[in-house]
Amino acid sequence: MSRPTTSAVTRIVKCRNLNVQFRTDNGLLSAVSDLSFSLNAGECLGVVGESGSGKSQTFLGMLGLLADNGTVSGSVTFRDQELLHAPRKILDSLRGNKLSMIFQDSLSALTPTMRIGDQLSEVLVRHKSMSKKEARAKVLEVLEIFGIPDVAQRYRSYPFEMSGGMRQRVMIALATLCRPEVLIADEPTTALDVTVQAQILRLLDGLKRHTRTSIVLITHDLAIVAGLCDRIMIMYAGRAIEFGTVRQIFEHPQHPYTRGLVSSVPNLNSDPEVDLPTVPGQPPSLENLPAGCAFAPRCAQVMERCTSVQPMLRAIKSSDESGYYACHLGDDN
Amino acid sequence: MKDTLLKVENLSVHYRTSGHRRFGGRSPLLKAVSNVSFELDRGETLGIVGETGCGKSSLGKAILQLVPAATGRVIWQDQDLCTLGPAQMRPYRKDLQLIFQDPVSSLNPRMTVGEIIAEPLRVHSPELTATERNIAMLDMMDRVGLLPEMAGRYPNEFSGGQCQRISIARAMILNPGMIVCDEPVSALDVSIQAQICNLLRTLQRDTGVSLIFISHDLSIVRYMCSRILVMYLGKVMETGPGKNFFSRPRHPYSRVLINAVPKVDLDNPAPFLGNVAEGELPSPVDPPSGCVFRTRCVHTTPQCVQETPELETDEAGTLVACHRWRALN
Repeated sequence: MSRPTTSAVTRIVKCRNLNVQFRTDNGLLSAVSDLSFSLNAGECLGVVGESGSGKSQTFLGMLGLLADNGTVSGSVTFRDQELLHAPRKILDSLRGNKLSMIFQDSLSALTPTMRIGDQLSEVLVRHKSMSKKEARAKVLEVLEIFGIPDVAQRYRSYPFEMSGGMRQRVMIALATLCRPEVLIADEPTTALDVTVQAQILRLLDGLKRHTRTSIVLITHDLAIVAGLCDRIMIMYAGRAIEFGTVRQIFEHPQHPYTRGLVSSVPNLNSDPEVDLPTVPGQPPSLENLPAGCAFAPRCAQVMERCTSVQPMLRAIKSSDESGYYACHLGDDN
Repeated sequence: MKDTLLKVENLSVHYRTSGHRRFGGRSPLLKAVSNVSFELDRGETLGIVGETGCGKSSLGKAILQLVPAATGRVIWQDQDLCTLGPAQMRPYRKDLQLIFQDPVSSLNPRMTVGEIIAEPLRVHSPELTATERNIAMLDMMDRVGLLPEMAGRYPNEFSGGQCQRISIARAMILNPGMIVCDEPVSALDVSIQAQICNLLRTLQRDTGVSLIFISHDLSIVRYMCSRILVMYLGKVMETGPGKNFFSRPRHPYSRVLINAVPKVDLDNPAPFLGNVAEGELPSPVDPPSGCVFRTRCVHTTPQCVQETPELETDEAGTLVACHRWRALN
């Protein structure tokens, strides 16, 4: 298959000043604030953050899949097509076709009353105008590639009859049937065992290598990101606080939160006699965000301006790898 | 000096499954745990690892007599707990505590945090006055990193990590000999996982409590546990000192588990291509003949299909159930 070329990168998805807000009984809650990033063709972007950091809502908002009380503002373009507030017809022609998403909970993401095969072939009938017969043949072929045993029998199974790992494969098959240009995987392996997780990650790795699909991998597990992704975006309390290549993030993390996150991940090489380094405290509640930097209450290097002024993203200077981070520690003075 | 607190001998747990009744006969038996034996010393942490459905939680519950054992003995300081009735068991419950995976649903939403933490004292130490209970409760809250003013609040006001601190306080307040921790950090965020692991280690250092740490996350198990027990379809595949387990795993399944842990290796960004077990756990209702792991093992021989491997010991004291472990190591 074609290898990545050195020609100029195509920014396939551009997100500018995205805000996602929810109306709640306690007022307006900002899940994502002023987020800008881009996704290059053929790259894998890791989006890392704790629960409530806005990592899922960013992409649900982008695809118009927010809960009823959610609103988005800003701009997200896919190949120069604006996605936010786009007509339903345009979104429907893109979603599941050019832009696909895989969810964490495969049981609730698949239709419980429809056979697996029908759910899959429906996509081809809808987006690729195939006949039911053609679609069935294609679906059987794809399920086989994704390592589903006894495909003819599995074609007739309902989701509840399959194991979690098997369902996750079906969901990846469903999301990639139309050869999407962008695949958003939201915690695709969190509910799975490590052995099955390795199988699924290998599947995603193969997709990235052989089809040049751009992948967004949303996760809280930095170790997964290290193996699969090219670039990482770290989110905290609805904002991107650091961007960088995988090497930049792991070898020279700049933001104190990123540094804490990288060092608090236990791995099979660390010394088990030494206590794990931790990030003290709890992630803030989105209903009650502190002024200034949201990480300030947990930060060991907090300064006066951190509690009043929101730090802006700045380029990392002293490094070969490119990256950005949002912290007052880099202020000139 | 070795001070054995708990001895588990040939413990089995069977469940009668519902449905799939065959021609008027009884429904099939699910052997969740088969013939598991191990010992736990004072102040030690034993890690029980394996995939979903391998029987690790059933084993933990059977030790605490929360599910009945089909065969075998659970000997806690010379007393076989399996022979005790519920009332006779009660005094032992003081010594044997449990922490659950889901910290939020394991706390009563209608009780305040203070009531939750002090409740074990009310049940097991009725001689204490309310003031004494209060003092003990506040002391315990301090030791797990909760502020005194949180005592009057309800669990729904707390995050997952703080709820897990509340569970730990509730388990620790009677100064138990052993706590079974069933996936205590797997529902928590990464930065909180590290806090809770460190807290458990600190409490263990201070009180000498023994821990049975059930987890599927090997990197955390490595950090928490001095000994490891690997289960697959209810059977022990390998058990031994943690250090040896990670440097020289003996059983093919142990190697598969260790290989499956995502590693941060920036110079070799082609991961997940190594020795990954194909397929998934077979049904425990109808396990494979011979060695239960043979359907996913890359080293299977006809002997593995016919004969069930017994646990054999290596020179470092690791027990391994594999016909071919000598040839493969």
